[in-house]
Amino acid sequence: MAAHGTVNHQRNLFPKRTKELKSVVHSAPGWKLFGKVPPRENLQKTSKIIQQSFSEDQVRPLEAKTVVLLLKEYEARTGRACKPPPQSSRRKNFEFEPLSTTALILEDRPSNLPAKSVEEALRHRQEYDEMVAEAKKREIKEAHKRKKIMKERFKQEESIASAMVIWINEILPNWEVMRSTRRVRELWWQGLPPSVRGKVWSLAVGNELNITPELYEIFLSRAKERWKSFSETSSENDVEGVSVADREASLELIKLDISRTFPSLYIFQKGGPYHDVLHSILGAYTCYRPDVGYVQGMSFIAAVLILNLEEADAFIAFANLLNKPCQLAFFRVDHSMMLKYFATFEVFFEENLSKLFLHFKSYSLTPDIYLIDWIFTLYSKSLPLDLACRVWDVFCRDGEEFLFRTGLGILRLYEDILLQMDFIHIAQFLTKLPEDITSEKLFSCIAAIQMQNSTKKWTQVFSSVMKDIKEGDKNNSPALKS
Amino acid sequence: MAQVNGVPRPGAAPGQPCIFKLVLLGSGSVGKSSLALRYVKNDFKSILPTVGCAFFTKVVDLGAACLKFEIWDTAGQEKYHSVCRLYFRGANAALLVYDITRKDSFCKAQQWLKDLEEELHPGEVVVMLVGNKTDLEEEREVTFEEGKEFAESKGLLFMETSAKCNYQVADVFNAVARELSWREESKEGQRQRRDAPLTLSERPSWRGRCCAH
Repeated sequence: MAAHGTVNHQRNLFPKRTKELKSVVHSAPGWKLFGKVPPRENLQKTSKIIQQSFSEDQVRPLEAKTVVLLLKEYEARTGRACKPPPQSSRRKNFEFEPLSTTALILEDRPSNLPAKSVEEALRHRQEYDEMVAEAKKREIKEAHKRKKIMKERFKQEESIASAMVIWINEILPNWEVMRSTRRVRELWWQGLPPSVRGKVWSLAVGNELNITPELYEIFLSRAKERWKSFSETSSENDVEGVSVADREASLELIKLDISRTFPSLYIFQKGGPYHDVLHSILGAYTCYRPDVGYVQGMSFIAAVLILNLEEADAFIAFANLLNKPCQLAFFRVDHSMMLKYFATFEVFFEENLSKLFLHFKSYSLTPDIYLIDWIFTLYSKSLPLDLACRVWDVFCRDGEEFLFRTGLGILRLYEDILLQMDFIHIAQFLTKLPEDITSEKLFSCIAAIQMQNSTKKWTQVFSSVMKDIKEGDKNNSPALKS
Repeated sequence: MAQVNGVPRPGAAPGQPCIFKLVLLGSGSVGKSSLALRYVKNDFKSILPTVGCAFFTKVVDLGAACLKFEIWDTAGQEKYHSVCRLYFRGANAALLVYDITRKDSFCKAQQWLKDLEEELHPGEVVVMLVGNKTDLEEEREVTFEEGKEFAESKGLLFMETSAKCNYQVADVFNAVARELSWREESKEGQRQRRDAPLTLSERPSWRGRCCAH
């Protein structure tokens, strides 16, 4: 995950938790792992020294960058590198050293060398002036760029703020009436303001299962009992009975996976602020739905919900979300159902991206290779977190078909690159997407994907695939269920 | 990052190394992805749980021969079992990984072998049993002998590793690579022997003629 991007979006993503998060994030030592900090520090140090030398030479102080630029240009011109000697000695022996390179251009040569001719001096002066002018121009341009980015960001924040007002004052109070209006749907597509995100997700996912916070507490306490008894007996049973071992493994696995969930955020790991919450929700769920149990990938879904909702609400949304037909099929690893989803996906794949579809076909690269990871974690593992949240927004609006549409959007975004790759490289690429993927680009690609196959919609295609397969292999054994 | 790795490589040029598919199988969090990461990028870090399958490639230089591994790193959780079965089709080699501190993972590795035998013909794949996490010696539950004995009884290669300490990780893959290229060579030899009668039946007459002159 791009640490940089995550930090930038921290404020927008988790408005409720800013205080807690801030302290965590700022004290997190791991950020250095991702940012390339040391080289920049070095650069600043050296340039500072160079700047100093300038001011002592009574040359107008320039920005450090300009100096570096000048040095580089000088190097290129003279064809020799003018590396400053090690910093410490430079600082000490400063006064005894020859004047800086720029000074060489401005001043006459040192006394032991023949003096510059007038023309040469003039030419040097002129060249120097040109360089400065050029550098200045560049700097102004950069400042403009920075300003533009800031402006863009302000604009974005402003539109989020105004959208938030609309969501809070107009839409949420009249949810049932307004949720499917054109205006709301359009606003929804733009991305939900982080402050109402959790609320809207909850409302959109619904609570078909009628889970109450009390019920959550009951299952949580059951889970806690089980953990207790597990830790008491774990030393006794060893290879006895596979089911015991499996249950053990699942409890163990939850523990292990929690620490492996969004490790770069440092909030779900042991000692982190949401470690226990994530543990509780996953544990309670395995008690609530022993038929599904814990499946790897779930920890990411629960984590994203925790970042946007209070504990009990997160559990309610989690259980209801996993109860959707598509999620249930995947989390039960109901292989035959999964194949039907893949088959439906391929219908739209061929329709939207026929060239790439054929390319994949030629390598017999099936959608399971990349879709399993994407669907199981609802893109929260494969896309940057802020972008995943935006996918979730529209997933809550449009349902399962949006998950597959997003998949096609990703394929469209990278179509040109993918067309150049062979099997293993495509598989590698799609299971580890570039980290610099932006929401503008991805969403414009998603928008360009038509989920209307000539006459049929996703659901219609899906049900016809269901029918075909049912008729096709009636005597096939039911899917392998765990 | 992924972009750089996924540099387009249009059509295999002649003289390119032979490609072998290697699958990593084993229980959850025994260190399959860590072994792959250590081997391919010489890195060790906290890895996200694998959902479905992850992919790596690595060219192995054996001196005399050069081959390329396509590494399929499968999800370890039991629940994904039915999905993973799909992935070992067409595999040339398999690493059955277990965690030496978890007896259950050793049992699971044995189960994986059964599945593998169902799906693939014996002798068709190079299988190696790998006991990972030797850095956790004090928590060991599966002895070296146990692992070795089982491997020998089934005719598997065997090694213990530590992805964390980079102990014998490359050796595992190199051993598999050597075995693969050795098998490939002997297959080549067999093919030549099979072709041999044809050339042999022609040669004597030619030689005979040669001698007659």
